[in-house]
Amino acid sequence: MDYILEGFREALKLLTTFDREIYGIISLSLMVSTTATVVAALICIPIGIHLGIKNFRGKRAFSRILYTFMSIPSVIVGLMVAIILSRKGPLGRFDLLYTPKAMVIAQTLLVIPLILGLTYSLSKNRGKEIENVGITLGGNKKDIIILIIKELRLDLMVNVVTAFSRAISEVGAVMIVGGNIKYRTRVITTTISMMKSMGDYPTAIALGLVLLVISFVINSIIYSYSGED
Amino acid sequence: MRRFLVLTLSILLIFAMLVGCTTGENQEVEGPEDNGEVVESEPSEDGGRLILSTTTSTENSGLLGHILPVFEEETGIKVDVVAVGTGEALQMGKDGDADILLVHAKESEEEFVAEGHGLERHDVMYNDFILVGPEDDPLKLKENAPEDILKGLKAVAEKGATFISRGDDSGTHKRELAIWGEADIQPEGEWYYSAGAGMGDVLTMANEKQAYTLTDRGTYLSMKDTLDLEIIIEGDDKLFNQYGIIPVNPEKSDHINAEGAKKLMDWFLSEETQELIGEFGVEEFGQPLFIPNAK
Amino acid sequence: MEIRVKNLKRYYSDNLVLDIDNLTMEKGKIIGVIGPNGSGKSTLLNIIAGLDKGYLGTVEYDKKPIDKETYRDMTIVFQKPYLFRRKVYENIEYPLKIRGVDRNIIGERVEKIIERFEIEDLKDNKAHLLSGGESQKVSLARALVFKPKLLLLDEPTSNIDPESIKIMEREIVRFNKETGSTIIIVTHNMEQSRRLCDDIIYLEEGKVGC
Repeated sequence: MDYILEGFREALKLLTTFDREIYGIISLSLMVSTTATVVAALICIPIGIHLGIKNFRGKRAFSRILYTFMSIPSVIVGLMVAIILSRKGPLGRFDLLYTPKAMVIAQTLLVIPLILGLTYSLSKNRGKEIENVGITLGGNKKDIIILIIKELRLDLMVNVVTAFSRAISEVGAVMIVGGNIKYRTRVITTTISMMKSMGDYPTAIALGLVLLVISFVINSIIYSYSGED
Repeated sequence: MRRFLVLTLSILLIFAMLVGCTTGENQEVEGPEDNGEVVESEPSEDGGRLILSTTTSTENSGLLGHILPVFEEETGIKVDVVAVGTGEALQMGKDGDADILLVHAKESEEEFVAEGHGLERHDVMYNDFILVGPEDDPLKLKENAPEDILKGLKAVAEKGATFISRGDDSGTHKRELAIWGEADIQPEGEWYYSAGAGMGDVLTMANEKQAYTLTDRGTYLSMKDTLDLEIIIEGDDKLFNQYGIIPVNPEKSDHINAEGAKKLMDWFLSEETQELIGEFGVEEFGQPLFIPNAK
Repeated sequence: MEIRVKNLKRYYSDNLVLDIDNLTMEKGKIIGVIGPNGSGKSTLLNIIAGLDKGYLGTVEYDKKPIDKETYRDMTIVFQKPYLFRRKVYENIEYPLKIRGVDRNIIGERVEKIIERFEIEDLKDNKAHLLSGGESQKVSLARALVFKPKLLLLDEPTSNIDPESIKIMEREIVRFNKETGSTIIIVTHNMEQSRRLCDDIIYLEEGKVGC
């Protein structure tokens, strides 16, 4: 029991004394997950909007497949990326495995189906009305996609943040492709998992607290934005 | 923005209060408090259950899976193996979460017994560590220092060849750090990767990076086919790895199966079991993975 | 713009909801389309607007089938307007902006139309928070600002206050006089159609009546 309390006390100490390693881990986490989310969002939002308002053959089957991929386990993504980036894999010559770049790639692939699915379903439900107005005011394809993105920006932002939360809290993919290497590819979740296995509870608790605070801040931002309207 | 700050601070405050409040009193009651939660603390008719806490490298070697069924059949006691790092294995003993430990960090183990967490400690067997590296061995250690780990590691550090460390506070990691210490080298810098991972992961990583790493022979042999890594240095006295068995002090928790733990310890030290240990791995790898040395 | 409809049939699953052999709406006129609920008025309007493509037959715009140019020359105002989640001013300037009109000209035209619709006070309000009458005026202003050659209105004045109706009717007529654009209004208000329209088309059960 006392090691839990000791853990909390040590955790607060680590955070308040700005321990270099801890803050390095936190900033790498934020960097990797932010980059992955932004890249995925830039790709997926226009495509998702477009597919949502477009009528095409097999749209129903497409929805079902997409929604399945939304909850793809992160270890599977990690495994896939590791195989591709490994020395013997097709992209082995770029020497990317066990680097932050590999982590960004894995997390991008992880959240792509999520952002695409959420955007697609949003656009399918609410895009048509906006599309009609856009068409009747003389907008072309590009105008209309921009218009829908602007109209649905709050919901889209919530989706993007949801994706970010998934990215920053996942451990499977970054563990596999990053390798949890000290000072290089160690992020909040992999550190927590490792520290636990080493019996170093203070660091694990400190990082757990940080992860909680990050989610809390993100959610508050979203709520304050949606409250504005 | 100010609202957030207030909220965030209040949350931190609550945590702080939790920490503060619970410090003093609860410590003493901790044992009894746990009472209701643990399953199957009493031996049941089939001989009961025993938690053996050991290290991942032991578990990965496959030894326990090979020999423990014999024990279970003989005694009817079911042994649950929890494989963690040495640090956590010892912690489990201190917390009374395991009945018996099989680990390989002699100093920590002796300390563990001296502090009263364990009853006694006996040597069971040893295996050895090896330095593995890329097949082309760019540092030519195999030629220059095939049995001298200190010389080998010095060369690695000087030339800045990539070296992957377990970095997980495991027995292997501790041994590696001890050897760096003896070589009077601070393992730091661009060339030194601290993986914080198990032996299998580290070997995979070393394979990917074509780097050097220190591993136990068993894990290396079991993965040899998938690795483009070769044994570079072996046979140095500094690379031997002694395993000890320690029954946890039953006073640590009401749930400790002291009787079963004693039986398991005696069994491990018995002549028949020692023989079993010595045979393990010979068929598959042409050499034993563990050398029994119980006295 | 002249609209000519030939052999138009529109089915919803197996129901024939619209069945018009021949119908011409002359250039420069205000044409009222009236009839009871479910007579196919809005369906006809959506087909002309190019939003409903699931019909049989032909619709010609100045003797040509619909194309990209035609889309840009016409617009429709719905009964329930959809305004963008931005300021009133930004809503109205939107059609000009996507047409790449010069910024000074946009300013002039938007200001002028805001003045005509007497919505100066609302200029900087968020459009999606406006009342029904206000929204409908903004929606009509947004449609008129780019001077379409064909203006389609789907019951634009139902459920709004008389003062707003008065302004909207005035501006519809003025727009017709100033630009010579064709305007088609779907309404079930007979009084209104008599007040505004040059021609009236009566629809009943999908067919043109007398």
